[in-house]
Amino acid sequence: MTESLAMSGKASAASMAAMYQDALLAHHRAPHNRREMGDATASAVHKNPVCGDEIRVMVRVDGDELVDVSFTGRGCSIATASASMMTDATVGQSVGDAVALAEQVERMLTGADGALPDGLAPLRGVAPFAGRHGCARMPWQALREALST
Amino acid sequence: MRHSLAPRSDFPLLAATPGLHYLDSAATSQKPAAVLNAIRDFYETANANPHRGAYALSAKATDLYHDARATIARFVGVADSDCVVFTRGTTEAMNLVASSWGRTNVQAGDEIVVTALEHHANFVPWQQLALQTGATLRIVELTAHQSIDLDQLRDVVSTRTKLVAITHVSNAVGAITPLAEAVHIIRARSAAVIVVDGAQAVPHLPVAFDTLDIDFYAFSGHKLLGPMGIGCLVGRRAILEKMPPYQFGGDMIEWVHDFDCTWNVLPHKFEAGTPNAADAVGLAAAVRYLEALGMDQVRAHELSLLEKAEAAVRALPGLTVYGPAVAQRSGVLSFSVADVHPHDLATILDQHGVCIRAGHHCAQPLMRRLGVSATARASFYVYSDESDVEALVTALVAAQQIFAAVD
Repeated sequence: MTESLAMSGKASAASMAAMYQDALLAHHRAPHNRREMGDATASAVHKNPVCGDEIRVMVRVDGDELVDVSFTGRGCSIATASASMMTDATVGQSVGDAVALAEQVERMLTGADGALPDGLAPLRGVAPFAGRHGCARMPWQALREALST
Repeated sequence: MRHSLAPRSDFPLLAATPGLHYLDSAATSQKPAAVLNAIRDFYETANANPHRGAYALSAKATDLYHDARATIARFVGVADSDCVVFTRGTTEAMNLVASSWGRTNVQAGDEIVVTALEHHANFVPWQQLALQTGATLRIVELTAHQSIDLDQLRDVVSTRTKLVAITHVSNAVGAITPLAEAVHIIRARSAAVIVVDGAQAVPHLPVAFDTLDIDFYAFSGHKLLGPMGIGCLVGRRAILEKMPPYQFGGDMIEWVHDFDCTWNVLPHKFEAGTPNAADAVGLAAAVRYLEALGMDQVRAHELSLLEKAEAAVRALPGLTVYGPAVAQRSGVLSFSVADVHPHDLATILDQHGVCIRAGHHCAQPLMRRLGVSATARASFYVYSDESDVEALVTALVAAQQIFAAVD
Protein backbone atom coordinates (compact mmCIF):
# COMPACT_ATOMS: atom_id res chain seq x y z
CA MET A 1 0.00 0.00 0.00
CA THR A 2 2.62 2.45 1.08
CA GLU A 3 4.78 1.54 -1.88
CA SER A 4 2.01 2.55 -4.24
CA LEU A 5 2.11 6.04 -2.77
CA ALA A 6 5.89 6.43 -2.89
CA MET A 7 7.02 9.46 -4.81
CA SER A 8 7.99 7.61 -7.98
CA GLY A 9 5.06 5.24 -7.97
CA LYS A 10 7.50 2.38 -8.45
CA ALA A 11 9.94 2.93 -5.61
CA SER A 12 10.20 0.32 -2.89
CA ALA A 13 12.18 -0.42 0.23
CA ALA A 14 14.49 -2.51 -1.94
CA SER A 15 14.99 0.28 -4.44
CA MET A 16 15.59 2.73 -1.63
CA ALA A 17 18.31 0.46 -0.32
CA ALA A 18 19.69 0.32 -3.85
CA MET A 19 19.76 4.09 -4.03
CA TYR A 20 21.36 4.58 -0.64
CA GLN A 21 23.98 1.94 -1.28
CA ASP A 22 27.39 2.18 0.34
CA ALA A 23 29.07 3.25 -2.90
CA LEU A 24 26.86 6.30 -3.19
CA LEU A 25 27.04 7.18 0.49
CA ALA A 26 30.83 6.92 0.37
CA HIS A 27 30.89 9.67 -2.26
CA HIS A 28 28.45 11.69 -0.15
CA ARG A 29 30.58 11.42 2.99
CA ALA A 30 33.91 12.04 1.29
CA PRO A 31 33.21 13.67 -2.05
CA HIS A 32 36.00 13.74 -4.61
CA ASN A 33 37.19 17.07 -6.05
CA ARG A 34 35.03 19.22 -3.82
CA ARG A 35 37.23 22.27 -3.98
CA GLU A 36 37.66 25.66 -5.52
CA MET A 37 39.66 25.84 -8.76
CA GLY A 38 41.67 29.01 -9.08
CA ASP A 39 42.67 28.41 -12.67
CA ALA A 40 39.28 27.30 -13.98
CA THR A 41 38.60 28.22 -17.59
CA ALA A 42 34.84 28.00 -17.10
CA SER A 43 32.28 27.46 -14.37
CA ALA A 44 28.54 27.37 -13.92
CA VAL A 45 26.09 27.15 -11.05
CA HIS A 46 22.94 25.10 -11.17
CA LYS A 47 20.24 25.59 -8.54
CA ASN A 48 17.36 23.39 -7.56
CA PRO A 49 14.47 25.78 -6.92
CA VAL A 50 12.51 23.04 -5.17
CA CYS A 51 14.89 22.78 -2.22
CA GLY A 52 17.28 25.71 -2.52
CA ASP A 53 20.36 23.56 -3.11
CA GLU A 54 23.04 24.70 -5.53
CA ILE A 55 26.12 23.14 -7.08
CA ARG A 56 28.91 25.09 -8.75
CA VAL A 57 31.01 23.16 -11.25
CA MET A 58 34.44 24.39 -12.36
CA VAL A 59 36.40 23.05 -15.31
CA ARG A 60 39.81 23.70 -16.78
CA VAL A 61 39.85 22.87 -20.45
CA ASP A 62 43.16 22.64 -22.33
CA GLY A 63 42.57 22.33 -26.03
CA ASP A 64 39.66 19.92 -26.09
CA GLU A 65 40.52 18.08 -22.87
CA LEU A 66 38.98 18.51 -19.41
CA VAL A 67 42.22 18.53 -17.46
CA ASP A 68 40.49 19.36 -14.17
CA VAL A 69 36.89 19.22 -12.89
CA SER A 70 35.74 20.22 -9.43
CA PHE A 71 32.63 21.37 -7.60
CA THR A 72 31.48 23.35 -4.58
CA GLY A 73 28.11 24.12 -3.07
CA ARG A 74 25.51 22.39 -1.01
CA GLY A 75 23.26 19.53 -1.84
CA CYS A 76 21.67 16.34 -0.62
CA SER A 77 23.47 13.01 -0.69
CA ILE A 78 22.30 12.33 -4.24
CA ALA A 79 23.48 15.68 -5.61
CA THR A 80 26.79 15.52 -3.77
CA ALA A 81 27.55 11.94 -4.77
CA SER A 82 26.50 12.64 -8.36
CA ALA A 83 28.87 15.61 -8.49
CA SER A 84 31.68 13.60 -6.96
CA MET A 85 31.28 10.73 -9.42
CA MET A 86 30.95 13.19 -12.29
CA THR A 87 34.31 14.80 -11.55
CA ASP A 88 35.99 11.39 -11.55
CA ALA A 89 34.26 10.27 -14.73
CA THR A 90 34.87 13.37 -16.84
CA VAL A 91 38.40 14.44 -15.98
CA GLY A 92 40.69 13.60 -18.91
CA GLN A 93 37.77 13.36 -21.33
CA SER A 94 37.18 15.48 -24.38
CA VAL A 95 34.44 18.10 -24.20
CA GLY A 96 32.33 16.04 -26.59
CA ASP A 97 32.71 12.87 -24.54
CA ALA A 98 31.84 14.68 -21.31
CA VAL A 99 28.69 16.10 -22.87
CA ALA A 100 27.83 12.65 -24.24
CA LEU A 101 28.24 11.22 -20.75
CA ALA A 102 25.88 13.85 -19.34
CA GLU A 103 23.37 12.87 -21.98
CA GLN A 104 23.82 9.21 -21.06
CA VAL A 105 23.09 9.98 -17.41
CA GLU A 106 19.91 11.73 -18.51
CA ARG A 107 18.85 8.72 -20.61
CA MET A 108 19.49 6.47 -17.60
CA LEU A 109 17.31 8.63 -15.33
CA THR A 110 14.43 8.73 -17.77
CA GLY A 111 14.61 4.99 -18.32
CA ALA A 112 15.56 5.20 -21.98
CA ASP A 113 18.91 3.45 -21.55
CA GLY A 114 20.35 2.14 -18.29
CA ALA A 115 23.93 1.74 -19.48
CA LEU A 116 26.52 3.65 -17.46
CA PRO A 117 30.27 3.41 -16.93
CA ASP A 118 31.23 1.52 -13.77
CA GLY A 119 32.18 4.69 -11.93
CA LEU A 120 28.67 6.07 -12.33
CA ALA A 121 26.80 2.83 -11.63
CA PRO A 122 25.57 3.94 -8.18
CA LEU A 123 23.46 6.59 -9.90
CA ARG A 124 21.23 3.85 -11.31
CA GLY A 125 19.65 3.57 -7.88
CA VAL A 126 18.15 7.02 -8.30
CA ALA A 127 16.14 6.09 -11.39
CA PRO A 128 13.05 4.73 -9.57
CA PHE A 129 12.77 7.94 -7.53
CA ALA A 130 11.47 10.55 -9.97
CA GLY A 131 11.34 13.13 -7.20
CA ARG A 132 15.11 12.86 -6.84
CA HIS A 133 16.12 13.00 -10.51
CA GLY A 134 16.65 16.74 -10.22
CA CYS A 135 19.16 16.15 -7.43
CA ALA A 136 21.23 13.76 -9.57
CA ARG A 137 20.96 16.05 -12.61
CA MET A 138 22.16 19.21 -10.89
CA PRO A 139 25.95 18.81 -11.32
CA TRP A 140 25.61 17.45 -14.84
CA GLN A 141 23.48 20.42 -15.84
CA ALA A 142 26.10 22.75 -14.37
CA LEU A 143 28.85 20.88 -16.24
CA ARG A 144 27.05 21.19 -19.56
CA GLU A 145 26.47 24.87 -18.97
CA ALA A 146 30.13 25.42 -18.09
CA LEU A 147 31.25 23.56 -21.21
CA SER A 148 28.92 25.60 -23.40
CA THR A 149 30.48 28.93 -22.38
CA MET B 1 -4.14 5.87 23.74
CA ARG B 2 -4.37 7.12 20.16
CA HIS B 3 -7.05 9.47 19.02
CA SER B 4 -7.60 11.94 16.28
CA LEU B 5 -9.97 14.85 16.67
CA ALA B 6 -11.65 14.00 13.38
CA PRO B 7 -12.13 10.34 12.40
CA ARG B 8 -9.94 9.19 9.53
CA SER B 9 -13.04 7.49 8.16
CA ASP B 10 -14.39 10.96 7.32
CA PHE B 11 -11.51 11.43 4.86
CA PRO B 12 -11.73 9.13 1.82
CA LEU B 13 -8.01 9.26 1.00
CA LEU B 14 -6.97 8.46 4.58
CA ALA B 15 -9.62 5.78 4.94
CA ALA B 16 -8.32 4.08 1.79
CA THR B 17 -4.67 4.17 2.92
CA PRO B 18 -4.52 3.01 6.55
CA GLY B 19 -0.70 2.83 6.56
CA LEU B 20 -0.28 6.41 5.40
CA HIS B 21 0.96 9.00 7.88
CA TYR B 22 0.17 12.32 6.24
CA LEU B 23 2.25 14.96 7.98
CA ASP B 24 2.15 17.65 5.32
CA SER B 25 -1.11 19.39 6.16
CA ALA B 26 0.64 22.76 6.29
CA ALA B 27 1.14 22.34 2.54
CA THR B 28 -2.39 21.17 1.89
CA SER B 29 -4.94 19.37 4.02
CA GLN B 30 -6.84 16.22 3.19
CA LYS B 31 -10.53 16.66 2.36
CA PRO B 32 -13.47 15.17 4.26
CA ALA B 33 -16.29 13.49 2.35
CA ALA B 34 -18.57 16.36 3.42
CA VAL B 35 -16.51 18.74 1.29
CA LEU B 36 -16.26 16.41 -1.70
CA ASN B 37 -20.00 15.75 -1.51
CA ALA B 38 -20.83 19.45 -1.32
CA ILE B 39 -18.87 20.14 -4.50
CA ARG B 40 -20.45 17.20 -6.28
CA ASP B 41 -23.93 18.19 -5.07
CA PHE B 42 -23.46 21.67 -6.46
CA TYR B 43 -22.68 20.33 -9.91
CA GLU B 44 -25.40 17.69 -9.73
CA THR B 45 -28.23 19.82 -8.36
CA ALA B 46 -27.43 23.51 -8.75
CA ASN B 47 -25.02 23.95 -11.65
CA ALA B 48 -25.73 27.26 -13.32
CA ASN B 49 -23.95 30.56 -13.60
CA PRO B 50 -24.56 32.66 -10.46
CA HIS B 51 -25.95 36.19 -10.90
CA ARG B 52 -26.80 35.79 -14.56
CA GLY B 53 -29.65 33.39 -15.21
CA ALA B 54 -33.28 34.51 -15.18
CA TYR B 55 -34.37 31.06 -14.05
CA ALA B 56 -34.68 29.12 -10.81
CA LEU B 57 -31.56 27.00 -11.23
CA SER B 58 -29.38 30.09 -11.52
CA ALA B 59 -31.09 31.58 -8.49
CA LYS B 60 -30.25 28.42 -6.57
CA ALA B 61 -26.59 28.63 -7.60
CA THR B 62 -26.57 32.30 -6.64
CA ASP B 63 -28.05 31.54 -3.22
CA LEU B 64 -25.54 28.76 -2.55
CA TYR B 65 -22.66 31.04 -3.55
CA HIS B 66 -23.88 33.84 -1.30
CA ASP B 67 -24.58 31.45 1.57
CA ALA B 68 -21.03 30.11 1.25
CA ARG B 69 -19.64 33.63 1.57
CA ALA B 70 -21.79 34.28 4.64
CA THR B 71 -20.68 31.02 6.26
CA ILE B 72 -17.02 31.82 5.68
CA ALA B 73 -17.46 35.40 6.90
CA ARG B 74 -18.97 34.11 10.12
CA PHE B 75 -16.09 31.65 10.57
CA VAL B 76 -13.40 34.33 10.35
CA GLY B 77 -15.33 36.88 12.38
CA VAL B 78 -16.45 39.30 9.67
CA ALA B 79 -19.82 40.94 10.27
CA ASP B 80 -20.03 42.41 6.77
CA SER B 81 -19.82 39.46 4.39
CA ASP B 82 -19.53 41.81 1.40
CA CYS B 83 -15.99 42.43 2.64
CA VAL B 84 -15.07 38.79 1.95
CA VAL B 85 -13.74 38.55 -1.61
CA PHE B 86 -13.24 35.13 -3.15
CA THR B 87 -9.83 34.62 -4.74
CA ARG B 88 -7.84 31.61 -5.93
CA GLY B 89 -6.08 31.63 -2.59
CA THR B 90 -3.74 33.65 -0.41
CA THR B 91 -1.30 34.32 -3.23
CA GLU B 92 -3.93 35.90 -5.45
CA ALA B 93 -5.32 37.84 -2.49
CA MET B 94 -1.92 39.41 -1.82
CA ASN B 95 -1.43 40.18 -5.50
CA LEU B 96 -4.87 41.81 -5.55
CA VAL B 97 -3.88 44.15 -2.73
CA ALA B 98 -0.45 44.85 -4.22
CA SER B 99 -1.89 45.60 -7.66
CA SER B 100 -5.04 47.46 -6.72
CA TRP B 101 -4.21 49.24 -3.46
CA GLY B 102 -0.45 49.26 -3.88
CA ARG B 103 -0.11 50.83 -7.28
CA THR B 104 -2.70 53.45 -6.36
CA ASN B 105 -1.23 54.43 -3.01
CA VAL B 106 2.51 53.65 -2.96
CA GLN B 107 5.11 55.90 -4.54
CA ALA B 108 8.82 56.66 -4.45
CA GLY B 109 9.93 57.72 -1.00
CA ASP B 110 7.38 55.53 0.76
CA GLU B 111 8.40 52.48 2.76
CA ILE B 112 6.92 48.99 2.71
CA VAL B 113 7.63 46.76 5.70
CA VAL B 114 7.71 42.97 5.61
CA THR B 115 9.17 40.43 8.01
CA ALA B 116 11.84 37.80 7.46
CA LEU B 117 9.30 35.17 8.49
CA GLU B 118 7.05 35.55 5.47
CA HIS B 119 5.98 32.98 2.92
CA HIS B 120 6.87 34.15 -0.58
CA ALA B 121 3.18 34.95 -1.15
CA ASN B 122 3.45 37.74 1.42
CA PHE B 123 6.98 38.80 0.48
CA VAL B 124 7.46 38.81 -3.27
CA PRO B 125 4.38 40.95 -4.14
CA TRP B 126 5.67 43.68 -1.78
CA GLN B 127 9.25 43.34 -2.95
CA GLN B 128 8.07 43.76 -6.53
CA LEU B 129 5.72 46.63 -5.62
CA ALA B 130 8.71 48.43 -4.10
CA LEU B 131 10.76 47.86 -7.24
CA GLN B 132 7.91 49.06 -9.47
CA THR B 133 7.12 52.20 -7.48
CA GLY B 134 10.54 53.21 -6.18
CA ALA B 135 9.43 52.64 -2.61
CA THR B 136 11.89 51.19 -0.09
CA LEU B 137 11.40 47.65 1.18
CA ARG B 138 12.30 47.21 4.83
CA ILE B 139 12.61 43.78 6.43
CA VAL B 140 11.93 43.20 10.12
CA GLU B 141 14.36 40.64 11.48
CA LEU B 142 13.59 37.79 13.86
CA THR B 143 14.48 36.72 17.37
CA ALA B 144 16.82 33.79 17.97
CA HIS B 145 13.77 31.50 17.94
CA GLN B 146 12.27 32.80 14.70
CA SER B 147 9.60 35.02 16.12
CA ILE B 148 9.11 38.58 14.88
CA ASP B 149 11.40 40.95 16.74
CA LEU B 150 8.97 43.56 18.07
CA ASP B 151 11.79 45.89 19.11
CA GLN B 152 12.97 45.98 15.52
CA LEU B 153 9.41 46.49 14.32
CA ARG B 154 9.30 49.59 16.54
CA ASP B 155 12.50 50.84 14.95
CA VAL B 156 11.48 50.13 11.37
CA VAL B 157 7.89 51.41 11.27
CA SER B 158 7.58 55.18 10.88
CA THR B 159 5.42 57.85 9.31
CA ARG B 160 7.04 56.87 5.98
CA THR B 161 5.55 53.36 6.22
CA LYS B 162 2.69 52.90 3.78
CA LEU B 163 2.09 49.18 4.23
CA VAL B 164 3.11 46.45 6.65
CA ALA B 165 2.83 42.80 5.57
CA ILE B 166 3.00 40.28 8.38
CA THR B 167 2.12 36.64 8.77
CA HIS B 168 -0.24 35.41 11.47
CA VAL B 169 1.41 31.99 11.64
CA SER B 170 4.65 30.98 9.92
CA ASN B 171 4.29 28.11 7.47
CA ALA B 172 7.96 27.18 7.73
CA VAL B 173 8.48 26.99 11.51
CA GLY B 174 4.94 27.32 12.86
CA ALA B 175 5.60 30.47 14.89
CA ILE B 176 2.40 32.21 15.97
CA THR B 177 3.23 35.87 15.66
CA PRO B 178 2.40 38.34 18.44
CA LEU B 179 -0.11 39.97 16.10
CA ALA B 180 -1.95 42.15 18.62
CA GLU B 181 1.30 43.66 19.91
CA ALA B 182 2.59 44.13 16.37
CA VAL B 183 -0.60 45.91 15.30
CA HIS B 184 -0.42 48.16 18.37
CA ILE B 185 3.15 49.12 17.48
CA ILE B 186 2.29 49.79 13.84
CA ARG B 187 -0.80 51.85 14.64
CA ALA B 188 1.12 53.96 17.17
CA ARG B 189 3.83 54.86 14.67
CA SER B 190 2.18 55.12 11.29
CA ALA B 191 -0.95 55.31 9.19
CA ALA B 192 0.17 52.17 7.35
CA VAL B 193 -2.19 49.65 5.89
CA ILE B 194 -1.71 46.28 7.62
CA VAL B 195 -1.90 43.12 5.50
CA VAL B 196 -1.93 39.79 7.32
CA ASP B 197 -1.24 36.36 5.82
CA GLY B 198 -3.67 34.03 7.58
CA ALA B 199 -3.08 30.94 5.42
CA GLN B 200 -1.58 28.99 8.32
CA ALA B 201 -3.77 30.55 11.01
CA VAL B 202 -7.37 30.13 9.87
CA PRO B 203 -7.11 26.31 9.67
CA HIS B 204 -5.59 26.00 13.13
CA LEU B 205 -6.68 28.85 15.41
CA PRO B 206 -9.85 30.80 16.14
CA VAL B 207 -9.66 33.98 14.01
CA ALA B 208 -11.90 37.04 14.32
CA PHE B 209 -10.99 39.64 11.71
CA ASP B 210 -13.22 42.40 13.10
CA THR B 211 -11.32 42.32 16.41
CA LEU B 212 -7.81 42.47 14.91
CA ASP B 213 -7.68 46.17 13.90
CA ILE B 214 -6.05 45.29 10.59
CA ASP B 215 -6.90 46.22 7.01
CA PHE B 216 -6.52 43.04 4.98
CA TYR B 217 -6.46 39.35 5.85
CA ALA B 218 -5.93 36.52 3.37
CA PHE B 219 -6.27 32.75 3.57
CA SER B 220 -6.55 29.66 1.38
CA GLY B 221 -9.29 27.06 1.37
CA HIS B 222 -7.15 24.03 0.60
CA LYS B 223 -5.28 24.26 3.90
CA LEU B 224 -8.49 24.13 5.95
CA LEU B 225 -10.05 20.96 4.53
CA GLY B 226 -11.44 22.80 1.50
CA PRO B 227 -10.72 22.42 -2.19
CA MET B 228 -7.74 23.84 -4.05
CA GLY B 229 -8.31 26.97 -6.10
CA ILE B 230 -10.45 28.93 -3.65
CA GLY B 231 -9.47 31.37 -0.92
CA CYS B 232 -10.43 34.73 0.45
CA LEU B 233 -9.28 38.27 0.85
CA VAL B 234 -11.00 40.01 3.74
CA GLY B 235 -10.73 43.76 3.80
CA ARG B 236 -12.15 46.78 5.55
CA ARG B 237 -15.05 48.21 3.58
CA ALA B 238 -13.74 51.76 3.63
CA ILE B 239 -10.53 50.68 1.91
CA LEU B 240 -12.07 48.14 -0.47
CA GLU B 241 -14.58 50.70 -1.74
CA LYS B 242 -11.80 53.12 -2.68
CA MET B 243 -9.70 50.53 -4.48
CA PRO B 244 -9.85 50.15 -8.26
CA PRO B 245 -10.70 46.73 -9.68
CA TYR B 246 -7.99 44.10 -9.87
CA GLN B 247 -9.23 42.39 -13.01
CA PHE B 248 -11.76 43.49 -15.62
CA GLY B 249 -14.54 41.55 -17.30
CA GLY B 250 -17.97 40.17 -16.63
CA ASP B 251 -19.85 40.53 -13.35
CA MET B 252 -17.49 43.14 -11.89
CA ILE B 253 -19.10 45.94 -13.92
CA GLU B 254 -22.19 48.00 -13.23
CA TRP B 255 -22.51 49.49 -16.72
CA VAL B 256 -20.24 49.41 -19.76
CA HIS B 257 -20.30 52.46 -22.01
CA ASP B 258 -18.33 52.56 -25.23
CA PHE B 259 -15.41 54.40 -23.75
CA ASP B 260 -15.64 53.93 -19.98
CA CYS B 261 -17.21 51.78 -17.25
CA THR B 262 -18.72 51.93 -13.82
CA TRP B 263 -18.04 49.16 -11.32
CA ASN B 264 -20.23 46.74 -9.44
CA VAL B 265 -20.54 46.94 -5.66
CA LEU B 266 -18.49 44.91 -3.16
CA PRO B 267 -17.52 42.13 -3.29
CA HIS B 268 -18.37 41.68 -6.99
CA LYS B 269 -16.08 44.52 -8.06
CA PHE B 270 -13.15 42.18 -7.29
CA GLU B 271 -14.63 38.97 -8.69
CA ALA B 272 -14.40 39.26 -12.46
CA GLY B 273 -15.78 36.44 -14.56
CA THR B 274 -17.78 33.37 -13.66
CA PRO B 275 -17.11 32.72 -9.97
CA ASN B 276 -15.70 29.47 -8.61
CA ALA B 277 -19.03 28.80 -6.96
CA ALA B 278 -18.66 25.04 -6.54
CA ASP B 279 -15.40 25.40 -4.64
CA ALA B 280 -16.86 28.23 -2.56
CA VAL B 281 -19.63 25.84 -1.58
CA GLY B 282 -16.98 23.20 -0.83
CA LEU B 283 -15.07 25.65 1.33
CA ALA B 284 -18.23 26.50 3.25
CA ALA B 285 -18.71 22.78 3.91
CA ALA B 286 -15.14 22.63 5.22
CA VAL B 287 -15.87 25.57 7.50
CA ARG B 288 -18.98 23.87 8.88
CA TYR B 289 -16.93 20.72 9.50
CA LEU B 290 -14.35 22.71 11.47
CA GLU B 291 -17.05 24.62 13.35
CA ALA B 292 -18.55 21.30 14.45
CA LEU B 293 -15.14 20.23 15.77
CA GLY B 294 -14.58 23.60 17.44
CA MET B 295 -11.48 25.66 16.69
CA ASP B 296 -10.42 25.69 20.34
CA GLN B 297 -10.43 21.88 20.21
CA VAL B 298 -8.52 21.92 16.93
CA ARG B 299 -5.82 24.04 18.54
CA ALA B 300 -5.70 21.88 21.67
CA HIS B 301 -5.44 18.67 19.63
CA GLU B 302 -2.58 19.98 17.50
CA LEU B 303 -0.75 21.30 20.52
CA SER B 304 -1.01 17.93 22.27
CA LEU B 305 0.45 16.11 19.25
CA LEU B 306 3.13 18.73 18.76
CA GLU B 307 4.24 18.40 22.38
CA LYS B 308 4.57 14.63 21.98
CA ALA B 309 6.42 14.94 18.68
CA GLU B 310 8.76 17.62 19.99
CA ALA B 311 9.67 15.57 23.06
CA ALA B 312 10.26 12.47 20.94
CA VAL B 313 12.47 14.07 18.31
CA ARG B 314 14.47 16.07 20.84
CA ALA B 315 15.43 12.76 22.40
CA LEU B 316 17.12 11.77 19.14
CA PRO B 317 20.77 12.72 18.60
CA GLY B 318 21.70 15.44 16.16
CA LEU B 319 18.29 17.05 15.73
CA THR B 320 17.74 20.80 15.59
CA VAL B 321 14.17 22.05 15.97
CA TYR B 322 13.36 25.51 14.63
CA GLY B 323 10.88 28.04 15.85
CA PRO B 324 9.72 29.26 19.25
CA ALA B 325 8.55 27.10 22.15
CA VAL B 326 5.75 24.67 21.42
CA ALA B 327 3.09 26.86 23.04
CA GLN B 328 3.92 29.63 20.57
CA ARG B 329 3.70 27.35 17.52
CA SER B 330 0.88 25.90 15.49
CA GLY B 331 1.05 22.20 14.68
CA VAL B 332 4.36 22.45 12.84
CA LEU B 333 7.62 20.69 13.63
CA SER B 334 10.40 22.11 11.46
CA PHE B 335 13.77 20.49 11.98
CA SER B 336 17.12 19.39 10.65
CA VAL B 337 19.00 16.17 11.27
CA ALA B 338 22.77 16.44 11.41
CA ASP B 339 24.45 15.07 8.27
CA VAL B 340 21.15 14.11 6.62
CA HIS B 341 19.74 16.44 3.98
CA PRO B 342 15.99 17.09 4.30
CA HIS B 343 15.35 15.62 0.85
CA ASP B 344 17.11 12.41 1.82
CA LEU B 345 15.02 12.36 4.97
CA ALA B 346 11.80 12.82 3.02
CA THR B 347 12.66 9.98 0.65
CA ILE B 348 13.41 7.58 3.49
CA LEU B 349 10.35 8.63 5.50
CA ASP B 350 8.20 8.13 2.40
CA GLN B 351 9.24 4.48 2.41
CA HIS B 352 7.81 4.26 5.93
CA GLY B 353 4.54 5.79 4.76
CA VAL B 354 5.38 9.11 6.37
CA CYS B 355 4.75 12.18 4.22
CA ILE B 356 6.72 15.25 5.28
CA ARG B 357 7.76 18.39 3.47
CA ALA B 358 11.41 18.96 2.73
CA GLY B 359 12.58 22.18 1.19
CA HIS B 360 12.63 25.91 1.72
CA HIS B 361 8.85 26.00 2.22
CA CYS B 362 8.57 29.05 -0.06
CA ALA B 363 10.33 31.01 2.68
CA GLN B 364 13.85 31.50 1.34
CA PRO B 365 14.50 34.75 3.26
CA LEU B 366 13.88 32.77 6.46
CA MET B 367 16.08 29.87 5.30
CA ARG B 368 18.95 32.29 4.71
CA ARG B 369 18.61 33.53 8.27
CA LEU B 370 18.57 29.96 9.57
CA GLY B 371 21.75 29.30 7.58
CA VAL B 372 20.24 26.33 5.74
CA SER B 373 18.94 25.71 2.25
CA ALA B 374 16.04 23.64 3.52
CA THR B 375 14.44 22.07 6.57
CA ALA B 376 12.28 19.03 7.12
CA ARG B 377 8.75 19.85 8.25
CA ALA B 378 6.12 17.62 9.82
CA SER B 379 2.73 19.24 10.30
CA PHE B 380 -0.35 18.00 12.12
CA TYR B 381 -4.04 18.51 11.69
CA VAL B 382 -7.41 17.29 12.90
CA TYR B 383 -7.01 13.76 11.51
CA SER B 384 -3.50 13.28 12.90
CA ASP B 385 -2.96 11.06 15.92
CA GLU B 386 -0.21 9.55 18.06
CA SER B 387 0.46 6.81 15.52
CA ASP B 388 1.64 9.51 13.13
CA VAL B 389 4.10 10.77 15.73
CA GLU B 390 5.33 7.23 16.40
CA ALA B 391 5.79 6.53 12.69
CA LEU B 392 7.69 9.78 12.26
CA VAL B 393 10.12 8.95 15.04
CA THR B 394 10.62 5.36 13.87
CA ALA B 395 11.37 6.55 10.34
CA LEU B 396 13.76 9.23 11.59
CA VAL B 397 15.72 6.60 13.49
CA ALA B 398 15.85 4.47 10.33
CA ALA B 399 17.14 7.42 8.32
CA GLN B 400 19.84 8.11 10.87
CA GLN B 401 20.90 4.46 10.75
CA ILE B 402 21.26 4.55 6.96
CA PHE B 403 23.45 7.62 7.07
CA ALA B 404 25.43 6.44 10.08
CA ALA B 405 26.65 3.32 8.29
CA VAL B 406 30.41 2.87 8.57
CA ASP B 407 32.37 3.33 5.36
